[in-house]
Amino acid sequence: MRNSETAISIKYLTKFYKKFQALDEVSFNVKRGDFFAFLGPNGAGKTTTINCLTGLSNYQSGDVKVFGYDVTSEYLHSRRLIGLCAQEFNFDPFLTIYQLLVYQAQYFGIPPMEAKKRSNQLLERFGLIDKRNCKHRALSGGMKKRLLLCRALIHDPEILILDEPTAGCDLELKFLIWDYLSQLNREGKTIFLTTHYMEEAEKLCKTIGIINHGRMVRIGDKKQILQDKSLEEIFLEITGSE
Amino acid sequence: MLHLITNPIGVWALSKREIHRFLSVANQTIFPPLVSSALFMYIFGVAIGSRINFASTGLSYLQFIVPGLMAMHLISSSYENTSSSLFIGRWHNHIQEILLSPLSYIEMVLGLLAGGVARGITVCLGVWGISFLFSPSSIAHPLALVFFMVMISVIFSCAGMMGALWAEDFGMLSIWNIYLIVPLALLGGVFHPLSMLPRPLQILSHFNPMHYLISGVRWSMTNTGDTSLSICVCVALFLAGLFFIATVYLFKIGYKLRT
Repeated sequence: MRNSETAISIKYLTKFYKKFQALDEVSFNVKRGDFFAFLGPNGAGKTTTINCLTGLSNYQSGDVKVFGYDVTSEYLHSRRLIGLCAQEFNFDPFLTIYQLLVYQAQYFGIPPMEAKKRSNQLLERFGLIDKRNCKHRALSGGMKKRLLLCRALIHDPEILILDEPTAGCDLELKFLIWDYLSQLNREGKTIFLTTHYMEEAEKLCKTIGIINHGRMVRIGDKKQILQDKSLEEIFLEITGSE
Repeated sequence: MLHLITNPIGVWALSKREIHRFLSVANQTIFPPLVSSALFMYIFGVAIGSRINFASTGLSYLQFIVPGLMAMHLISSSYENTSSSLFIGRWHNHIQEILLSPLSYIEMVLGLLAGGVARGITVCLGVWGISFLFSPSSIAHPLALVFFMVMISVIFSCAGMMGALWAEDFGMLSIWNIYLIVPLALLGGVFHPLSMLPRPLQILSHFNPMHYLISGVRWSMTNTGDTSLSICVCVALFLAGLFFIATVYLFKIGYKLRT
C-alpha cells in the first residue's frame, strides 16, 4: 500500500449510462481512517460512484484512486484495499456460506489454511457459525446482511465500503453493525457508508458528503455541517425533497 | 503465460470452485452425455452399424463413431460448463465476487476455463470408458489425444463464456449450442467419414472447423483420418488462441460485466 493519507481520491468523475448522465464531474477526497457518510436521494449517483470506485462500472472521464492506486490502470492493487458490502444478496447458490468465504478469501491471495481460519472467526463474530454448512438460501434476511459483511471483511481491507448496510435490519442487528463499524474505524479502517437513515450517518460518521443529480453538493466535517440544524433538515434543504 | 499470473492462489481457488460446481451436480453435468453415448453406441454402433459396410476405413462402424462421440461431448460439455457458470454468475450477480477481487482478466478467464476443460475431458474419457461395454478400444496416440482434448475444450469453454456474456436470458444461452455448435459437430463427421458424402458436400465440409477437430480426435484414437493431421493441429491451435484472446478482451472491456 502506498503511503498516502488520502484513502479515496475522486477527481472530475463523469459517468453516462447511454445518454443519461449519472455523475457530473464529481470530486472529493476521503482521508485515511475517516468514517465518511455518502448521502443522497435515490438515483443521485451513490451506487454509481461506488461502482466506479470498485471497478464494477466503467466511466467516461475523471481520476479515481485508492491510496494512490488508479482503480483502472492499477486495479490489482486498488482492489486488495477495498471490501464492498453491496445492497443485494449476491451469493453463489452452489456453495455453503463457509465455502463462500473461504473461496472469497483465496481470490484475494490468502492461503487456504488462513482463509479457513478467518472464515471461522468472522462467522463466529457475526453469529453465523452454526449455519456454516448451510447455503445462503437457508438464512434469514438479517443473517444474509451479516454474511455480506463477513464477505467484505474476509481479506481485511483498508477501506470498507457499505452500500446501505442496515436497510431492512431489525434494531438488534442495526446496533450490532453500528458497534462493529465503530470498532473497525477505531482500529484505523476507513469506512465509506451510504445510507438513507440520517440518524445513522449522524451517529457514526466524521465526514459527510451529499450528492444530488450526479453532483457533489456539500462535503465537510460533520461538526461544521451540523451547526444549528439536524442532518435531516440540511439534507432536505439541499436535495429539495419534501 | 506463467509470468502473467500474479495471484496463483486466486486462480487455483476459482478453478476449484468451477470444478466443485459441476461435480456437485454430476447427475446433470456428467452422466447424461454418458447415457446418451451408450444409447448411440448401442443403436448406431451395434444394432445398425453391423449392417454397414465400412471396410474401406479399416474400422468397424462402432470403432469409427466412438472418437466422434468423444469429440462431440467434449465440445458440448466444455461449452455448457462455462456458459452456465458465467451466465448464472451474471444472473445472480455473484460474478461480483470475482470482479471485485485482485485477479487479472487473464486469471479470471483461466479460472473459469479450468472448469470447462475439466468437465469436457471428464466426459470425453467417460464416453471412451462407456465404449468398453460394447467393444474394447485402445488409444493409438495418447499424447495427441491429450493435445486435442485440451485444445477443443479451451476453444469451446471460451465460446461458452462469450455466449454467456452475450446472452440476456436462459433462452439465448442455448441458442449457439442448439443452432450452431451441435449441427456443425454432427456435420463435421461424428457419424460419417467425408468419403460417404457427395462431392459438393465433401468440399463444403472442409470449411467446417469442427471437421478438423473431430478428425484430430479420431486420428489420436484410431490412427486413421480423412484429413491431414498437421492441418488438424494448426486449426486447433489457431482457434484456441483466437477464442482465448477474444474472451480475455471481452473481460478486459467489461462487456456486459461492468455497467
